[in-house]
Amino acid sequence: MYLYDNFDQTITQQRIGEFRDQVQRRLKGELTEEQFRPLRLMNGLYLQLHAYMLRVAVPYGTLSVVQLHKLADIATKYDRGYAHFTTRQNIQYNWIKLEQMPDLLAELGSVEMHGNQTSGNCIRNVTADQFSGVAGDEIDDPRVASEVIRQWSTFHPEFAWLPRKFKIAVTGAAHDRAAIQFHDIGLQIVRNEASEVGYRVFVGGGMGRTPVIATEVRAFLPKDELLSYLEAILRVYNRYGRRDNMYKARIKILVRELGAEEFIRQVEEEWQASDRALVNLPPAEEDRVRKFFADPPYEKIAVPVAAFEDARKNDKAFARWVATNVHTHKVPGYGAVTISLKPPGGIPGDATDKQMHAVADLAEKYSFSEVRVTHVQNLVLPYVKLADLHAVWQALGKIGFADANIGLVSDIIACPGLDYCALANARSIPIAQQISERFADLDRQHDIGPLQIKISGCINACGHHHAGHIGILGVDKAGVEFYQITLGGAADENAAIGTLIGAGFSGDDILGAVEKVIDTYLELRQSGETFIDAYRRVGAAPFKEKLYGRR
Amino acid sequence: MAVVDRNGPIADSWKRLADDAPVPQGGSVIVSLARLKSDDNALFAAAKNVGVEFAGDVNLEEVLAYLPRLSLIVARLTTMRDGRPFSIGRLLRERHGYKGDLRAAGPFIPDQVLFLLRVGFTTFEVDEGFSIDALKRAVAAFTAWYQRSATPATPTVIELRHPGNK
Ligand code: SF4
Repeated sequence: MYLYDNFDQTITQQRIGEFRDQVQRRLKGELTEEQFRPLRLMNGLYLQLHAYMLRVAVPYGTLSVVQLHKLADIATKYDRGYAHFTTRQNIQYNWIKLEQMPDLLAELGSVEMHGNQTSGNCIRNVTADQFSGVAGDEIDDPRVASEVIRQWSTFHPEFAWLPRKFKIAVTGAAHDRAAIQFHDIGLQIVRNEASEVGYRVFVGGGMGRTPVIATEVRAFLPKDELLSYLEAILRVYNRYGRRDNMYKARIKILVRELGAEEFIRQVEEEWQASDRALVNLPPAEEDRVRKFFADPPYEKIAVPVAAFEDARKNDKAFARWVATNVHTHKVPGYGAVTISLKPPGGIPGDATDKQMHAVADLAEKYSFSEVRVTHVQNLVLPYVKLADLHAVWQALGKIGFADANIGLVSDIIACPGLDYCALANARSIPIAQQISERFADLDRQHDIGPLQIKISGCINACGHHHAGHIGILGVDKAGVEFYQITLGGAADENAAIGTLIGAGFSGDDILGAVEKVIDTYLELRQSGETFIDAYRRVGAAPFKEKLYGRR
Repeated sequence: MAVVDRNGPIADSWKRLADDAPVPQGGSVIVSLARLKSDDNALFAAAKNVGVEFAGDVNLEEVLAYLPRLSLIVARLTTMRDGRPFSIGRLLRERHGYKGDLRAAGPFIPDQVLFLLRVGFTTFEVDEGFSIDALKRAVAAFTAWYQRSATPATPTVIELRHPGNK
């Protein structure tokens, strides 16, 4: 993975010094809260319902063992012994004191981490496919572009005060595991007819109260032109994006108001007029960055691996876990393990300090000391030998992280909701907990098959409910928490926005309603048909009828 | 009101001229873009120095013809979070070759001055509460960056990593 050089380290240290000064001035009253707020946000610090929340950047979801141990230590020392992995591959602490922030940031800085630009109206932490570098279907490793974007977007002087937040995601494969079409900019690494590598560029996707699937603005952008093209997009947005209404300030609204064609024309015009060579990355720098993502020293392993095949045959529970939680690896004899942070009744994405230390130890022993965070709020050990899988699975079982539910009904995304979030209409976490408990039986989950449930506590859609096969949205109905159901959303290359199917359900009834939706699917599915495929075939009508009766 | 540069307060003799005020002989006047457009000959003939002021919604095309004769451009941030002047700074410096004084006005804070400098601003119109101490610390807060500045004084990190590579 990427390691800081002196320059990266200097910039990180200087940022800590700057923020230490700003906190002092705030505490002395030299900065008003209104002035301080955007500064603290750009350092990752939010004011939540009960306390400050710190969001720490995990650039494109990649963590070293040293970093994960440090994150665990911080949970012990500054929080209540746990932390929360987010849908943007970051990690959050929920109980932070402002006075402690500078020291906390210094600790993070000692392991090349920070909270920079994890909030605020700036370019946020870039996200990528969690299987970067190990997926067999990859055209090029998205971590290279992601690291280049990380550096370019860090303290970019022109784009620190955008109309609204700005999120970029990169995928290197045709199968989209990074939800790029729901980002402000989505980059898909592709090859053109001449077999050159470049980017298919999407702009203006997003969740929130106006969910939009991104528009393709360029079918092929030559690889070396990435940064100048990003600047052109950002400059058009920075100049012309709406600043009068925060709900209309995302780039998706600018694309909609200008029309895709006019937006593209403006970006291309800006790009052509700019001095691209000044902005584009010199090839020598790309080569330097790329070297950090070279393959780890894999062993040559003959397949099939007998020990692994035997274990799979003899241990049904292990076989089931392999089926859902182990992703095919580009190197024979290896697998990429997804660690489920979704135990029945648990809080999606939460991990205790002990669990984080244990995962770090496993990564050190079995996965070249590297861990990934997924946008579905799970963790990944990217390089595990098939022969070691059984031992890894058993070790994960000891810390409650061995649930064989990746991609299944209990692998739920949920936003913090009313338990933490000041903007919430309703609680999300307890709904996720109820669903994962109701469907705890793994036979039942595996029978239901691939199904993504996503829950948001309000229309801001941090839980990505629009993109859930089943989406649940918390609303406020005369002071009471209610939940609406959407069906048919998807976050992959067949991105879709779910359809609201009818009136909401009370907190007592939502679980039963979700179960009815799933039962309806089970009744009407054809052989081998997943939930989303069945929904696409039959539409919402049968589900509505089951939930609301015939009209 | 005071005017500062990166080092602190500086002397300033610019005067704002209301759109309906007569053009004074000599002196340095700041006018609106509308006044500049309607009255440019008289202004450049009478005043010693002419500056123009606008906000982030400006159509830069309308300014370009006057650039060689302008000695001051004031770009106003309407709020602290108004990022448009940051793009305008780079455009004026990098694309349109503006060499005169580029001044930021509005409710920005010292912590924002370093980025304003990096996108090409040179002076800053500030109110009395603006802390010069904080300004001095803020502009020195960083010594390295990944992106080229509009008026490059120091090389970027990328350039420093590859000294031979131009
Ligand atoms: S969706 Fe709403 S409730 Fe949930 S985290 Fe976002 S703002 Fe808070």
